[in-house]
Amino acid sequence: MLEDRKFIESLLSLALRSPHAADYGRRQFLRSVGRLALGAGVLTNLSRVFGNPYALAAEPATLPEVTSIPERLKGKGVVRVSSYGGAFQEAQRKAYFEPFERLSGIKVIESEGPDVVKVKAMVDTKNVEWDVAEFDLADVINLKSKGDYWEEIDYSLVDTGNIDEAFTHKYALDMLPYGQVCAYRTDAFKGAKPDGWADFWDTNKFPGGRTMPAGSGGLVPDLESATMATGVPMEKVYPIDIDKAYASLAKIKPAVVKWWEAGAIPAQLLNDKEVTMGIAWNGRIAAIQAKGAPVEVSWRQGALRTDCWAVPKGAPNRENAMKFTAFITMPVPQARLSLLIPYGFVNNKAVDYLPADRLSVLPTAPEIKKQLYVYNSEWWAANRDKVISRWASWLLQ
Amino acid sequence: MTIAAESSAKFGAHRGRTQMGYLILLLPLLVYLGLFYAYPVAAMMFRSIHEPRWTADNFVQIFDTGVYLHVLWLTVRIGLIVTFASLLLGYPVAYVLARVDRAKSNLLIILVLVPFWTSILVRTYAWMVLLGRQGIINQLLLSFGIIDEPVRLLNTTFAVYVAMIHVLLPFMILPLYGVMRGIDENLLRAAQGLGAKPVNVFRQVVLPLSLPGVSAGCLLVFILALGFFITPALVGGPQDIMVAVLIQQQVDLFNWPLASALAVVLLAAALLIFAVFMRTLGVEQAFGRART
Repeated sequence: MLEDRKFIESLLSLALRSPHAADYGRRQFLRSVGRLALGAGVLTNLSRVFGNPYALAAEPATLPEVTSIPERLKGKGVVRVSSYGGAFQEAQRKAYFEPFERLSGIKVIESEGPDVVKVKAMVDTKNVEWDVAEFDLADVINLKSKGDYWEEIDYSLVDTGNIDEAFTHKYALDMLPYGQVCAYRTDAFKGAKPDGWADFWDTNKFPGGRTMPAGSGGLVPDLESATMATGVPMEKVYPIDIDKAYASLAKIKPAVVKWWEAGAIPAQLLNDKEVTMGIAWNGRIAAIQAKGAPVEVSWRQGALRTDCWAVPKGAPNRENAMKFTAFITMPVPQARLSLLIPYGFVNNKAVDYLPADRLSVLPTAPEIKKQLYVYNSEWWAANRDKVISRWASWLLQ
Repeated sequence: MTIAAESSAKFGAHRGRTQMGYLILLLPLLVYLGLFYAYPVAAMMFRSIHEPRWTADNFVQIFDTGVYLHVLWLTVRIGLIVTFASLLLGYPVAYVLARVDRAKSNLLIILVLVPFWTSILVRTYAWMVLLGRQGIINQLLLSFGIIDEPVRLLNTTFAVYVAMIHVLLPFMILPLYGVMRGIDENLLRAAQGLGAKPVNVFRQVVLPLSLPGVSAGCLLVFILALGFFITPALVGGPQDIMVAVLIQQQVDLFNWPLASALAVVLLAAALLIFAVFMRTLGVEQAFGRART
């Protein structure tokens, strides 16, 4: 049974979830370019064309230091952490792992490529290789509905005083909010600025190709924007009327050049003028903006999504995983990451450690957060199967 | 009589020992394949009809829901077009490789192999650079005044064909080259000496003798093309779905029995086409050497 699960897992599971998951393959690719030593020329050329994914943002001169941690977070031994590799995991190492190791005395052993399909296989075969890993919350909830696959988060360790309730869950703790938002070329519409999804759907006023997330590759189609495009206000998006949303999506379908399965793709399509407007993850847009691409984010009616830490059932170093999770949601580690990569923070106190110019590009900055709706992972966990099952036949209609 | 029987028995024993020796040599590979290939594939097939109990539901669903067969057909069609185009492009190259002298052919082989050794992602990204709206091809066409505004080359089925052919071409050229190299040049000279025109030499001697290479190359390219995944996802148009994408989707949905059933259908389609090749070209043609 072990072999066959592993086989299915390795042969078929190319599951790429969440922004960092979806970028994982691409990072692997660029790293293998480096490894193959194809020469700086190729890499430079690729970087020039696509924007260097290593430079997610200019690195700040100094990061705020974590000076001490509560006694309850200290321990010994190891914690095995799985995240999405590449520049992203490097940032996490700087922001979280290094200070955690130094202050807690617990050694962090890293690996790459978390995947709930693998968690299921690991727990089923009682061979849990990760103590804690990064996931999309909807995936955690979804797997929970299949059985007892997760450990409960130990909230006696977490100082939740400054963490919104929306970020704390029984089996997962959010750690990385990001925006799934509208981004557009500023040189495409003669100065007109799209504002909300009705404009995104209006190809007369805002001509040009579009790109949107696919319903494959571990992703779900953006039914929220499709719903809002029909005039439903942001607060009333959930529960989504799937039929209506698909019907609305069909209206923009002829303009969609590419349904993307990896977070790097919309950024690249916008950068290369393949499309004039797209739905993208804010961190990827910040990366091409830093390279000078004339692309702007329109935050209004965008989704505030989050990645979370979750602990697979039976993780050998469960205690350390809980301490690790609690540490990362502290204000300074959160601020450190937001300084390295323009993703948000779950601890509101992180604001104190972030300069104003940085806050202006973060999805959880107070001015931006209020324009976004909170992505309903519960709804998606319950309805993903239904939505996804229709995707391919809808697409080929 | 007795002597003959004795020697034949000895010979038989000897042959038996030799075969036993071969078997021992093959054993590590057989164990490896059995454990890591045959068993998982069998387990996957079993899962498609038995999880948690005997059922044909997964296959019924595949054949009932038009989309799976539709996507399977799209995948097979892309595979066939890519195979055919690779053959057209690869055959002359292999022919030249086999006919020029060693030194030149070694150099040319390296030219074939360099892309073969380059990561598939690198090559796919290279096509994105070439085919984009601001890519080299569009820039050239614009500067020559052939087009007034960039044409969409990237994110189309055309781009899928171009990138896949590029990736798979070496798999066509190498078997063709291997077979063509084995064609005895004396046969060509004999044909010429007997008054055959170059066209006839090719049609009546080279082409039939190279058929094993053609079938081996076509099989390799086609079967690899069926499983393609990354290239269509990166350069394909909005409707270019490959069956691998649907399989992954079902894995994601934890519907592993259905994913297994889809994989079984794909495997069956590949085997079916394999059988057709065998029928039309002959078993020994596909795997045997050129009969010179």
